[in-house]
Amino acid sequence: MNSVPRIHIASNVTATASFDPPTVRLGQLAIYRVAFDALEESIAWPQGVPAPSKLEMTPGAHGEVQAVNGAELEPHAGFNYRVRASESGQFTIPAYTVRVYGAPVTVPAAVLTVEASPQLPARSALELALEIQQTSLFVGQATRVILLFPRAPDNSALMPIQGPPVFKLTGEGFMLAPNSVRQLIEVSPRSTGAGNVAGFVYEAILTPITAGRIAAFAQAYVGNRPSPYVPITFTAGSVIVMSGPPQYTLLDSQPVEFEVKPLPRHGELAGFTGMVGAYNLEPPALTTNSLRVGESLKLTVKAHGDGQLERFVAPPPPQLRDWQIFPLPADATPAQVLASQGFVTFGYTLIPLTEEARATPAIPFSCFDPVKGAYVDLTIPAISVQVKPAAVPTDFRSIQQANSTEEKPEKEPTLSDLASSPGMSANSLVPVQLQAWFPMVQGAPGALFLGLLGWDRRRRYLEQHPDIVLRRRARRALRRERRALQQAARLGDTLRFASAAVSAMRIACAPHFPAEPRALVCGDVLQVLPESERSSRISEVIKSFFEATDASRFAPTPSDAAKLLALQNEVEDLLTKLEERL
Amino acid sequence: MNPKIYRPTPSTAVFGFQFSGFSFQILKFFRNSGLFRISEFGFRIFPLLWFAIPLTSPASPATSFKDGVAAYAAADYSRAATAFREAAVVQPASGTLQNLGIAEWQCNQVGPAIVAWEQALWLDPFNQSANSNLRFSRRMNQLESPDLTWYEVVSTWLPVSWWAWIAGLSLWLAVGMTILPGIFQRRKAAWHQAVAAVGLMVFLLSLPAQLGVHTRARIGFVLWKDTPLRLTPTEGAQAITRMAPGDPARWERARGDYLLIRTSRALGWIQKDQFGLICPN
Repeated sequence: MNSVPRIHIASNVTATASFDPPTVRLGQLAIYRVAFDALEESIAWPQGVPAPSKLEMTPGAHGEVQAVNGAELEPHAGFNYRVRASESGQFTIPAYTVRVYGAPVTVPAAVLTVEASPQLPARSALELALEIQQTSLFVGQATRVILLFPRAPDNSALMPIQGPPVFKLTGEGFMLAPNSVRQLIEVSPRSTGAGNVAGFVYEAILTPITAGRIAAFAQAYVGNRPSPYVPITFTAGSVIVMSGPPQYTLLDSQPVEFEVKPLPRHGELAGFTGMVGAYNLEPPALTTNSLRVGESLKLTVKAHGDGQLERFVAPPPPQLRDWQIFPLPADATPAQVLASQGFVTFGYTLIPLTEEARATPAIPFSCFDPVKGAYVDLTIPAISVQVKPAAVPTDFRSIQQANSTEEKPEKEPTLSDLASSPGMSANSLVPVQLQAWFPMVQGAPGALFLGLLGWDRRRRYLEQHPDIVLRRRARRALRRERRALQQAARLGDTLRFASAAVSAMRIACAPHFPAEPRALVCGDVLQVLPESERSSRISEVIKSFFEATDASRFAPTPSDAAKLLALQNEVEDLLTKLEERL
Repeated sequence: MNPKIYRPTPSTAVFGFQFSGFSFQILKFFRNSGLFRISEFGFRIFPLLWFAIPLTSPASPATSFKDGVAAYAAADYSRAATAFREAAVVQPASGTLQNLGIAEWQCNQVGPAIVAWEQALWLDPFNQSANSNLRFSRRMNQLESPDLTWYEVVSTWLPVSWWAWIAGLSLWLAVGMTILPGIFQRRKAAWHQAVAAVGLMVFLLSLPAQLGVHTRARIGFVLWKDTPLRLTPTEGAQAITRMAPGDPARWERARGDYLLIRTSRALGWIQKDQFGLICPN
């Protein structure tokens, strides 16, 4: 029975902090490393480190390694910061407290010396170098990444101890195939680019899964010994033995950015299963080319390609009237073997349902070739077969249809293309019913209908009371005649004055009968006056005006009407009284 | 007896309308005053100006839209998002918001992408692409859709502003068909009553949708990753839970820089700038 080693939980957690290298020239990168002998998840790491303002600190890798120590696993956690100083001097990150397993642990102070012109060339910080073969990719396009481990300052190799895999890539929007990580044997030593000579070199396959600009950095634990090897001399010669406990260091690389483009939507061919790369198919092979209805045959195809063969997705079997098709189980060959042999095999079991079938169906398949930037048709071609009638006549097509209870699968949602035009627009996202002007606009028809209702009501009232209309018209006409009367008086036109006065009196009295104003005579006007005024001076005035106008119209010689102008005030008073009675 | 001379009523036609009598006199004065020429000139050049503005102004929505499409084609998704956002601010449009969502999605901004697509559907529920993008993003991020009531579902059948116009027009049509025949002393015909009944029915049926629009206007989405839902509207408040970008919620009320929101699981306060409303106030 296998037993899982116990994780050693230190009762007295220790923390170390240091700058690598402790002395740098101005502008040079240093790594601030803090290490604990505890599980990473037990450490309540602060949001910020109390660093001097002149130090620009960028969070880097953080991780954990569990080293075998006897029968126990000893956890080691580390936190890295990338540090650059804006001026020379000596900078100290003071000691601070971090809670580990709920108890306070003091992280010791660390000192970084920054020299503007160092006497000795400053050593570079130990860091990994990450190289990405292609920095402009399509989603799903696999690419090779190479990770170079630096050598220690004493030129000893720093051995990766984590794993598998031996390193991690930190970032979002991609995945690293764990099985693809392998060590490279380099003939000539490489430089890591930061002044260090590479020791171990690893490569892996990275596949972006989202479009956009993606940044990634690598991190790995390396093990080395704290002090130079101590030579112990024996009589037979010298033997080198290691001294002191091993030291685990968390290294990381500079972030590397790469651009990932989405697969084009236009030009997508049938049978695309997401395969991105340069693929080609060998001609398909059949187990037999002569069979009976209801018997099965196997169709196998070998696919060659530069992509990730272990992730190969075969095209789905088509639903056809004459054939029933099932996919063969996926190729179970290990990824390493697939990579070395360079092809993957997939296939289908085909059952003819009718003797009318003359060839195996073409199975649509396509992939996206990132070099060409286009979809490539890899359709599996049809192969002629001879289908004989079944030994026992059976309508396999009906059986297939009866058994076919599967519902049409819902179309998988995908990210759409850009809209070619802005489409339906509005002045605001706030709907009109929530905007202040809308109730007012809706009030306008209401006001219109209310106005129409009021007008209709008034019209009906006036229809029932025509005298009101007559009096209103009379008042209007009376005012007009009074204006004519006043104008004639101003001009001294006696006859017009008398005529206007008579006309005004008739108009004012007509609604009382009712009658046409021109039909009224002096007696009618007097009849309208109150009893008390009929024998007064005013009746004389009225008579004189009627006489004057009658004389002007009918008498051979017009009467002297000049004196009538003097009666203007009395006529005005009379007309005012008559208007009041309307 | 003098023969009666027929004098046609003086009249004229302006902008397709016939003016005669008193209105003709007013128009005559207006025409002679010179104002007419100015306004006529304005009417003639107005369509030209209307179409010229989007062509000449550098910050017009059309220009920003084209800039966004070009930036997206060049895989500069951040610049594309900025351009589409500028276009959407000046003139919100369904296609612009759909593109803004796609650009935000490519920048890994799930929350803003979902808000943009929801706003695209808010303006145009017939936009199938925005709908598909929403389903795709929710499936990818294991996010839930807002839980809509039946009247809110009804309100999603048509663009939100259409409901208001439908309700207004149907109501006044019903009122008009009821009272206008009486006012104009026409006999009330069967078709008058039928139109009034249909108008009233449409109005009553549109009322739940109106309510749905009002309540849906309060739906919003968490914009950023690990957004804390706080117990009180203060910076140091205890976090009830942490929410994922794109999580839906309804805002209940505001206080200072915080909104009280109700999710399907909890009620708490969130900072205003961490919450994107479908219908920003």
